Parts: sequence; structure tokens; C-alpha cells
Amino acid sequence: MTDTPPPVRPASPVRKTAARAAQAGINVIWLVPIVALIVTLGIAWNAYSTRGAVIEVEFADATGVTPGETALRFREITVGQVESVSFTPDLARVVVKIRVDKDVAPFIDSEASFWIVRPQVTAQGVTRLDTVLTGAFIEGYWDANVSGEQTRFTGQDRAPLIREDTPGTMVTLAMENADGISEGAPVLYRGVQVGRMENIRLAGTEDQVIADAFIEAPHDKRLTTSTVFWDTSGFSLSLGASGVSFNVNSLSSVLQGGVAFDTLISGGRPVEAGHVYALQPDEDTARNDILASDSGEPLRLAMLIDDSLQGLAKGADVQFQGLRVGQVTDLAVTQDEPRGEIRQVVTMAISPARLGLPQDATPENALAFLEQAVSQGLRARVASAGFLGTSLMVELVEIPGAEPASINTDAQPNPIIPSVPGDLDDFSANAQSFLSRIGNLPLEDVLRSATDMMNSITAIASSEDTRAIPESLRETLDQTRSAATDIGGMARDLRDSGTAENIARLVDEAAAAAEAVKLAAADVPDMVDQIDAAATAVEEFEFAEISAQAEGILADLRAMLGSEDAEQLPRNLSNTLEAASGLLNDLRDGDAAGSLNNALDSASTAADEIATSVQRLPQLIQRLEATAARADSVLASYGERSAFNTEAVNMLRELRRATEAFGSLARLIERNPRAFILGR
Amino acid sequence: MTPDSAPILTAHRAGLLGCRSCGRVWPEGQETCDRCGADLVPPDRRGLQKVWAWWAAGLIMYVPANLFPMMRTQTFAGLQGSSEATILEGVVELMHYGNYDIAIIVFVASVIVPMAKFLAIAWLARVAGRPATVEQAHTRLKIYEVVEFIGRWSMIDVFVVAILSALVQLGFVASIHPGPAAVSFALSVAFTMLSAQSFDPRLIWRGLPLRSRTGTEGQD
Repeated sequence: MTDTPPPVRPASPVRKTAARAAQAGINVIWLVPIVALIVTLGIAWNAYSTRGAVIEVEFADATGVTPGETALRFREITVGQVESVSFTPDLARVVVKIRVDKDVAPFIDSEASFWIVRPQVTAQGVTRLDTVLTGAFIEGYWDANVSGEQTRFTGQDRAPLIREDTPGTMVTLAMENADGISEGAPVLYRGVQVGRMENIRLAGTEDQVIADAFIEAPHDKRLTTSTVFWDTSGFSLSLGASGVSFNVNSLSSVLQGGVAFDTLISGGRPVEAGHVYALQPDEDTARNDILASDSGEPLRLAMLIDDSLQGLAKGADVQFQGLRVGQVTDLAVTQDEPRGEIRQVVTMAISPARLGLPQDATPENALAFLEQAVSQGLRARVASAGFLGTSLMVELVEIPGAEPASINTDAQPNPIIPSVPGDLDDFSANAQSFLSRIGNLPLEDVLRSATDMMNSITAIASSEDTRAIPESLRETLDQTRSAATDIGGMARDLRDSGTAENIARLVDEAAAAAEAVKLAAADVPDMVDQIDAAATAVEEFEFAEISAQAEGILADLRAMLGSEDAEQLPRNLSNTLEAASGLLNDLRDGDAAGSLNNALDSASTAADEIATSVQRLPQLIQRLEATAARADSVLASYGERSAFNTEAVNMLRELRRATEAFGSLARLIERNPRAFILGR
Repeated sequence: MTPDSAPILTAHRAGLLGCRSCGRVWPEGQETCDRCGADLVPPDRRGLQKVWAWWAAGLIMYVPANLFPMMRTQTFAGLQGSSEATILEGVVELMHYGNYDIAIIVFVASVIVPMAKFLAIAWLARVAGRPATVEQAHTRLKIYEVVEFIGRWSMIDVFVVAILSALVQLGFVASIHPGPAAVSFALSVAFTMLSAQSFDPRLIWRGLPLRSRTGTEGQD
């Protein structure tokens, strides 16, 4: 500043200020932009340095991939982002550029694999449903080994079924065809899923399908060289002697197939990855296919046969001491050079292990073993297998006293084991006799007899008589019904005319009886003593008991109507009624007036018969008569004893009641005649 | 320039010192304003260092404010992806969606105004104290006032981000977070405001009389 500037005097500030500015040092305020610059540069450098690498992955299409949004994930953690999507120059595929986080970028090497994760619906279920909400993402897998940097990859079309880091063993299965087996199908060990099938493909040159089967650790330890694999796809339906068997392994295996394995024979060697197994069509085959299950090379032998080989097929058993030791692998025809004969060559494969030799026995060991056995009489022959013997097998049997022979080890291509004629002839003879017996059966006669019988039956069934049976039955029924009607009519007649009169007559007869008794009493005064005695008896006699007895009789009668005795009664009645019917017919047919008396007599007789037919009724009447006689004698003796009269009247009343009961019986018959006829 | 322009009496020329806080003038040599208590600082081009420093800081911060994303929109917790956009990308996106008016507002507030401020302050600081005619001085003053006034409005973008970040926190469904550019932009605006504030408008008038004097009286 100037020392004394007058207030109004203008100074020269420009110059002064400029000079001062030039002289002035750097103001502290400049630290602000410097710091800002440093910070900004630091941020920029940081952003650049953590930018990560860009990799390019080729996909067939970019479904669901959005630049700037779709993430790259490694073990479900986002490690990158899609920056852009473009086409390959030929437009055949898309190239996805992914910015990968710096810390994982070094691990993405030549072994890395990428695939797009989308929701999937398969036979095994729905997977990755979460990507419906979040959108697809790219998943990558790489291991921790840094080997060979690479920035361009070819993405897989779909997620691998088995992660590369999953411990386990990958083996190869060879099969005839892949029917029913799809990728991802389970590999089962005793029903437990221990792996998966994948990568099913046609073998390059052979007519085979091969597939990879991944067996997870630790189950892969169960795989040995003697392991057999078989197909469990779908279901099996078999019809055997034990019935129908229907096997379904699991729904999953029905849908997508599956294979199972088992190690049937111990001692196999551990397998390495890529070991090739033959996939057997089913479990039985697998378990029986000893060549497949046995480790080691089979011994191949040939035998020459003159007999017919019909019935011997490839795969037929080779048995030794009754055990399967191999199978027939080939059948051929050869010409025996010296003699020019045509002979059959049966080639068989024999498992050394099955011969009782150690697991690691070689075919040479087996051959040596067999040579020794042959020197002791072992021979090969064709035998029948099975019950019916429709198939043949090869048997290695010891023939005692066989001609010395040895295995022709020089023969090509396989050593020839000496053979003996098989028991085929016996078998053939047996079969022939069996068949001839069947043929000799008098089948035709039997059939003829059967036919005749049938014809007879038909004739009987179709004859007029047989047909008439129902008609006769019907007629019988009609007659029965008409009889019943007649019975009804008769009963009505009975009710209308006969019964009352009969009863009146009965009463009259009773009266007459009483009269007779009276007369007798009168005529026989010497019987007074008897009468006295009788009177005494009468006195002693319980009139109430009589009435009770009468009532009991009536009860008996009623009971009888429902009792078995009643069965007989209707029969008697029926007879009676028949007679009545005939009578009525006579009446109807003949002179009615003339026959009337007869008819009445007959009716009377009929009534009598009815009376007699009731077994107890005559006894009752007798008893009544006796009683009446006594009563009369009492009456006679004691005069007009009102009580006795009353009792007599009661007696008569009871009698009438009995008659009425009978009348009710008749009415019952009338009402329900069938009940009597049928007994109920 | 104009012959009739008489030398304008400025406070400086009158030997007075104006208070920047309340505007009262004091004789030179007075240290503090007796009215408001503010320090009395004579106008000096050395004060322009401050302007330039803040200006530079603001300009530096303006670079990342444009390069980094302003805000990050996350939908479905980032599973469906998150979108980040810088200021210019946001403008382009808004135009793409047809929101031209909003796009223009954002563009003006976030690009044109800060740029204009940088230019204006730089120009003011450059020409301050330099000889000028009265009209030129008035123009400069108007520009300064406009810069001072409009400075705070540049924060509109930052406000938008701040408000959206506070409002759109729908958890799983969607959320908005401010990006690094928001901080940079806010700092840039703050620095330019400080820069504008550091500018001493009295310097505008310092050149006037001298020019007149030099024009009339010539060199001393």
C-alpha cells in the first residue's frame, strides 16, 4: 500500500494490483482443486482398475439375455454382467460380451463353461423357477486352477446335468438302442439313485448307442470290472409258470428310463473313468450273463457234433457239474477234411472264474484245468435243457470209461474239446413216445362220444315230451287249482246244506244216544247201583274238568290244525273232498233229484269221514257219549237237577262249539284251500 | 470510449472502502465495518485466486459428475437387473421415452447452466479489473448477478436424486440409490457457487475510471 494516498486521489490500482498479484504467493485455496483433482483421478483410476475383463461367449440364441441387466453367476453369486449382445459374422450364433469381475476373471480359463439358466420343466420336475421372476441369467463354471487364459468361449446349450466338480466316476455304457432312456435318467444301485445318465449318443462306427453314466462318490467305489448294468426303463410284463408278473421300477424310470447296476461277483478290479460296460436289457439277463459279469477273458472252446443241432441256440448254457459256466456263442458248420463229413461246430465261451478257478484266472488256466479234466474222462455233449426239452444245452460231463481223448489245442480258431454223442436220442425218443402217446389217445372216440352225448342232450332238450313237461306241470297246477275250487265249492255246499243238518243229525244222534242211554238206564234198573256208582263217579267227576277237557280238546283241535297231524287231515280231507267232488260231479251229471238222497248220504258219509278223519273227535264223541250217558243217568237218578241240566246243556254247547270249530276248520279250508293241500 | 463519459466516482477512487456484507463505505484503513462487524477487505485481484481455485475444483468435479452414473435403479433387489444412467444418458433416455420437456429441464439444469456458469465465472474473473466501458461494466455486473442467482438452481438434479432416493425405497420391488455422480455434481455446484461468491464484484468497477482516465488524461 502507498503510504499516504489522499482519499479522493485516484491511485493506480491496476498496476499496483497486478504487481501485487504477481508478487503474491500461492493461496492456500488452491489446495481445494488439487484435492478435488486427486480424488477424482483416484476414483477414476479405481473404477478403471476394478473394471474387470471382458469375455465373449457364443450361444445359439440369447433368450432372456439383456445387455446391462443379465448377470453372470458363479455358484449363484453375480460375478459379471452382460455388456452387449451381438451376432457372429455369419449370423448363425450370438456373441454375448460379459464384463467379469476382476477377482474371478483370472480363473475363467479354457476349462470354463457357460450356459444360460432358464426355467425347465422335465420329467424330473421343474427347476430354476426363480428365473421366471428374475429373468434368465448366464451361469458359468470354472475351477480354481488358472490355466490358459481365454476370452472367447462357446456356451453350452443347456445346463450340464453333472457339475464338473462333483466327485464321482464317469463310465460309458454301450447298448443296442436307447429306447426309453433319456438324458438325466437315474442310475440306481439297489433302488437308490447314485448317478445320472447323460450325453446319450450314437457310437461313431458301430451300431450301438453309448451313453455316459456318472456315478457319484462314494458310490463309484462299488463299480468294479465285474459290475453289470441293466436297463430299468419302463415296466416289464412277463407271463410265466408262476403267473403274470408286472414290474415297475419307479415312475421316474417309466417316464425317462434309467439303469441300475450291481456287482454280482466280488473280486473285480476297480474301474477307471471311461470304463465301458455293456448295458443289459433287463435284470435277469444281467444277472445271468456271466460273461458280462465275470471279469477276465472267457475261454473259447469248440466242439464238433454229428447230431442235429436243432434246439441249440446262441446263448445256450454250458453246464459243468450242473452249474452254468459259460454259454454257446456261435454255431457253424464245418467240413471234416479227412472224411468229408459235414459236422456242426459249437463254439462256447467259458468263464474261468466259474470253473472254480481264482478270479484272475486266465483262459490258459482254464484250458489247462479242462485238459486235465478231459484226461480224466470229461467230455462235452449236447443235452436237453428244461422240462419239455425244447431247448438244448452243452454239458461237460465225466463219462466213466470213455475212450482216452484230449483237447485239440492246435485247432483253429478255438481248441476243440472231445465230445460224446449226447443223450439227445433218449430225449428224442422220449419226446417222440410222449408225442406218440398223445397221438394215440382215442381223442376222436372221445370226441365222438362227447358229440353223441351232446346230441342226445340236445335231442332230449328239444323233444316234444321235454317241452311238454312245463305244460303238464301247468295242467297239474290247473287241476290242483280246480280241485281247490271244488273243495271250496264243496265246503260251501257243506256250509249251505250239509253241515247244519249233519250237526243237527249229530245232535239228534247224540240225543238218540242219550235216549238210548236213558232207555238203557230205564231198562236196566239193576244198573242203578252202577248208576249210583256212576252218580258217585259223576259226583266225584269234575264237570269243570270235563269242560276243561272239552276245551282242551278244542284247543287240541285248533292246535292240530296247525300241527303235523293237520297234514294228515287235509290228505284225508282231500280224499274226502275228492269223493265229494265225484259226488258233486255225479250230482251235476246225473239225475240230481234221484241222486240227492245218495248225495246227502254221501255227504253224510263224507261228514262221517270227516268226523273220523279227525282222530280225536270220535274219542271225544265217545267220551261225550259216555259223559252224556252218565249225565243222563244222573238226570234220571236225580231228576230235574237244574245244575245237571245246565251242565248237560253246557256240554251240548261245548259239543256245538266243537262242531263250530270244525265248521271253522271247514271255513278255513274254504278260505284257504291251498293251505290244506300244501300243508301250511 | 465515449467522449462524454465523465469519470465515474467509485468508492475506491473516493478513498473509501465498501463493506461487502452490508454495503456501507468506510474510509480506507478502516479494518472492520462498524455497522455489521465484517472485515473490510479492499478489492484486490489477488482475491481472484480464490475464484479460480474454486472454479477449477468445480470443473474437476464436473467431469466425474458427467461420467459416472447419477442414480442406480434396482428392481427386484437387483435380480432383474439394475439400471444406471449418467446425466446425459438420462436425458437421452427421457427423450427416448418422449418426455421432451423434462429432458430439456434436466439438460438445461444439469448441463447448460453449469457450463454457462463455468464460462461466465471464468470470463468474469478474466476481465475483472480490466479496463472497460460503463456499458461493459454493467453487462459484467448483470452476468455476475445472474450467475449468483442461478447458481443454487443447478442443484435441481441433485435434489431430484435425493428425493427419489428417499421416496423410492420399496424394498424388494424397486429402489433408487444415488450414484457417485450425484456427489460429484453436488460438489461441483457447491464449488462453482463458492467460486461465484469469492468473486468480488467491486473489481468490475475498478477498471472503469482508469480507462476513462487513461483515455482522457493519459499516462502519468
